[in-house]
Amino acid sequence: MQIVDTDISMILISLVAVIGTLIVAFAVSVWLPGIERKFVQARIQQRVGPPISSPGFMAPIKFFFKQAMTPNSPMPQLYNALPLISLIIVVFILLFLMPQMYFLGALASIIAVVGLLKVEEIMYMFMGSLSKSVLSVNMPFPDLVKGAKYVDATRSFIEEISTLRAFRLIAFGSFPLYIALFVPVAMARSIYLKDIIAFQQLNGPVLFTVAGAIGAIVYFIGFMILMNEYPFAIMKTKADVMEGPYLEYMSKYRAYTYITRGFLIFVLASLFATMFLGIPPNIFNPGILVTIAVAILFPIFMAVMSAFSPIFTFRQFYPVVAATSILGVLAIVAAFL
Amino acid sequence: MDNNNKITTQVIETEVPMGTVHSAALEPYRLRLFVEDEIVRDAELTIGVNHRGIERIMEGLPVEKANSLTEKVCGICSNSHIWNSCLVAEKGLEIDVPPRAEYIRIIMEELERLHSHLLYLAHGSEVLGHETFSMRLFYIRETVMELLRMIGGNRVQYGASIIGGVRPRCELNEMRIQKIKEGMDYIEEKVLEFADRFIRDPMVMSRISGIGAITKADARRLATTGPTLRATGIEVDLRRDMEQYEPFEFDVITQDTGDVKANLLMRVLEIPESIKIIRQAIKDLPEGKITNRSWEMQDTDIIRSYIEVPRGKLYHSYKIEDGRLRNSIIRTPSITNINTMEFACIGTHITDAQLAVVQCDPCFTCTDRAIQIVDHPFRKNRII
Repeated sequence: MQIVDTDISMILISLVAVIGTLIVAFAVSVWLPGIERKFVQARIQQRVGPPISSPGFMAPIKFFFKQAMTPNSPMPQLYNALPLISLIIVVFILLFLMPQMYFLGALASIIAVVGLLKVEEIMYMFMGSLSKSVLSVNMPFPDLVKGAKYVDATRSFIEEISTLRAFRLIAFGSFPLYIALFVPVAMARSIYLKDIIAFQQLNGPVLFTVAGAIGAIVYFIGFMILMNEYPFAIMKTKADVMEGPYLEYMSKYRAYTYITRGFLIFVLASLFATMFLGIPPNIFNPGILVTIAVAILFPIFMAVMSAFSPIFTFRQFYPVVAATSILGVLAIVAAFL
Repeated sequence: MDNNNKITTQVIETEVPMGTVHSAALEPYRLRLFVEDEIVRDAELTIGVNHRGIERIMEGLPVEKANSLTEKVCGICSNSHIWNSCLVAEKGLEIDVPPRAEYIRIIMEELERLHSHLLYLAHGSEVLGHETFSMRLFYIRETVMELLRMIGGNRVQYGASIIGGVRPRCELNEMRIQKIKEGMDYIEEKVLEFADRFIRDPMVMSRISGIGAITKADARRLATTGPTLRATGIEVDLRRDMEQYEPFEFDVITQDTGDVKANLLMRVLEIPESIKIIRQAIKDLPEGKITNRSWEMQDTDIIRSYIEVPRGKLYHSYKIEDGRLRNSIIRTPSITNINTMEFACIGTHITDAQLAVVQCDPCFTCTDRAIQIVDHPFRKNRII
């Protein structure tokens, strides 16, 4: 009987830990876009910037109360559901990082995390494919009669271009992040998160090794690519595809995209803390403060890099991804040695 | 420099239309890009959604009123329009403009060139995706805007020129002259700092070198004008031939490559030349009245006037009948540069296409005065 009671109390404690960690993650993540834009980008650009609560917290609340219009999509309901699906996927990644979920075996492994991140990336392809905004082909402008040079050409929406770019990101753009994740795997000789954490508890954080330090740099560049931040924001370049897959999101659906972005920053920071520092996200562990610190530092560094660089085209994007990926491979080789 | 911008004759598979509302465009225009694997093979740029009919409104108005209306043609080079329009009347009515007024007009025009070039650089940086550069350039530009407001009483439409001189409001006293001097020192220092930072940034240089390149031969064939023409290495500046600019020493800046980098540097390097002209004008500002009011209205034939404005050659012409204006024609530099813009896009990546357009410093709102009626109700797809 006592054993059963202990089990139930353990389950309850685990449940509280999971829910508590999710709440902390959410509470921190809503401030991250504000920190990025107010304290870094605006300061660098010598302007006041938005209130710190505005981009991640107040803006989603505001959008929840806005009127929604039907997007110009062949499947508007699916299109509108995609940001929520993205958010759920990102929440699941965080769940699998928590020590309370390590009993799930293969799901609490780096393969599952990478798989879920890939699914999150694929969402952008679906979003882009399903958006047919008025800003390109659908613009009521009589250009087909204006001496058009190629009347038989297929007419593409600008969102389709961003879909192709999302595909390129999935195919090779996000390589650096995934390669960097395998540096701790190579050192711990295991794909399971609990083994990687145990390895670091015994031998110290991976970050403080040569391979780990190189891997961390590669991870950070991969993080920026995955976050689609300048200079790597090829999927939502203002100069051509504008907001890309997000172009037609409005009201609560846009709020989901904002929340997902903030949450993804926190989750990727947690992933870094887990893989490179050996500190999984857990509200009952003081190490959660380190995770929060990483979650704050990542957007700060990202904003500094973004503020001082122009948007890349493929001419710059390919070499940077290739060089970073090679660096990542070298880090893995060093980790094996 | 060759941008590999050869128009292909084969059927293009994909067209990506952009606009008339687009985040990279300050003004409404339609850009159709015919692409293969995101590389632009051909481009078509169409304007025509911003008709305001200014020349039509000008018809029959008293010349003084019509002149002030020309300022509404453009929000960036408003002074250029009213100045050239006044020059047309002064030429036709044989009015002598007092030397002090000529100098003040030159100061206004060069200040406008400064603000236009700084706006160009800021917008170019924005399209490049470099918001920090863009913001900093806008801050530098604020000094020019404040100087224009101080002289003309307005940040956009200063209304400095009138027939026979300049408005009394635009008289330059010691305080104003001192502020202009301080402003020029500040702008020169900041722009040179910016230029130094800009050309040493490898990421920026990688984005702009060789993009949208136009050769000298292409520029001549496409009737390119203004700094975009000079960026290809052709030394043509109408200010050299304008009698108003005779007292001033300045260099005509040219670049060789005709690409985005050359165009951006053209504007950066033209800024110190404008500052040089302003400093000379302040130093040698003649004494005397600023308006000649002793002239009489008479009928004239069509009178034409060309001047060099920040974007290139500006043309105004009209004739006067019973003190009223007839047959008004305005041709802005951007109309002749449209072909260059289309050509510059060819061979670039889609992301660079808007940059290739922007490098020619388009001002479609002032160009866009042609009327177009499309026979929509009958779905004949016909333009009348």
